[in-house]
Amino acid sequence: MIHFPNLKTIGFALYFFSVSLPAASHHSFGMFDMARFEPLEGTVLAFQWTNPHVILWVEQASEDGSESKTWGIELTSPGNLQRAGFSRRSLNPGDVVTVIMSPLRSGNAGGAFRSIENKTTGMSYEYDYAKVGSVQ
Amino acid sequence: MMNTTKRVLLTLLLCSVTGLSPSLAPAQTGGEILGQSFADLANLPDWSGLWTPDVADQRAQAVENSTPWTDNSAEEISFMLAEDVAGRPAGIFNDCLPEGMPTWMLISHNAFEVLFTPGRVTLLGESDSNRLRRIYTDGREHPEYPDPTYHGHSIGYWDDDTLVVDTVGILPEVFIAITEGTGVHNGGDMHIVERIYLAGPDTMYVDIGITAPHVLTEPWKTRRIYERVRGFDIIEGICLQGNSFNQLDEDGNFIFLPTMPE
Repeated sequence: MIHFPNLKTIGFALYFFSVSLPAASHHSFGMFDMARFEPLEGTVLAFQWTNPHVILWVEQASEDGSESKTWGIELTSPGNLQRAGFSRRSLNPGDVVTVIMSPLRSGNAGGAFRSIENKTTGMSYEYDYAKVGSVQ
Repeated sequence: MMNTTKRVLLTLLLCSVTGLSPSLAPAQTGGEILGQSFADLANLPDWSGLWTPDVADQRAQAVENSTPWTDNSAEEISFMLAEDVAGRPAGIFNDCLPEGMPTWMLISHNAFEVLFTPGRVTLLGESDSNRLRRIYTDGREHPEYPDPTYHGHSIGYWDDDTLVVDTVGILPEVFIAITEGTGVHNGGDMHIVERIYLAGPDTMYVDIGITAPHVLTEPWKTRRIYERVRGFDIIEGICLQGNSFNQLDEDGNFIFLPTMPE
């Protein structure tokens, strides 16, 4: 069971995200610009530990804190992540994180996961897409 | 394992008795078909653990490996590769239907494990809702009219430590894919022969020969590489799970919603 802290927010994000992505269905990563590495600072809304792609939902506040934007960061499958040292408890709602991602080419609020620094727990995770058996 | 010369002689002898073609005759040891009893399984190679694909090699092959596509298929493949590079990948697996054969072996990014039981080798995969392949090594032939399926009907035999697998009966809609966004429907009448073996202590080679007369001008021979991982288990992989949204209904039951809540 995944506990969504704010279902309406997530629902909106899913709707917004699904315009560019086939949600979490089985697909190529061609919609991401994998040559780019962009930082994203924010708070974890949910770590959606589902097949075939895990999705990390991050809320990014505007500079003055008056508005927020929800990003969907797509990862590989739970099996591949498990073998790379992740678990469904690696990231939890409320964690303050800095994500390095390869953004959607469309410019929408989504990206492919590259690495993360979890400032709440002090843990860091990286995913090597060139590593044998550990790609999306 | 017995030496090759003895095995060939026994195989030919078996062929003359059973009428099987030499290419599909089951390997013999001590007068029994190899792998027919639980005790006999100890003579098979150690394929324990999980086998994860060399995805970097898959990607290199998608660009560098010359697949003998027909003109129509080549045009389609070129278009899809260009679209993927441009950020518009074709969603050929977005519907979460199984990749099937031979695509599972060609482009999967997920692991599989192998089970040996008497008369059968079973491949259990992590994706496509925990896909599986049953490879019958009990000496049977293909059905005369196999019901077409995503993974086809597979029979196999052991050639020393190499498992030779022959597969027919694959649905014509199943893709021959070279990436997750690039592939064509095989069109039917496809025949796949694989030679699966250890190339090193923890490296498995799958040499694949694909005959698909509707989309290939000649049989396509290619190789895929898998690396062994120990200490992990295959986990459940329900493809559509990521498209479902968990929620509580009005009675407090945990349910999946196929569409996002309002």
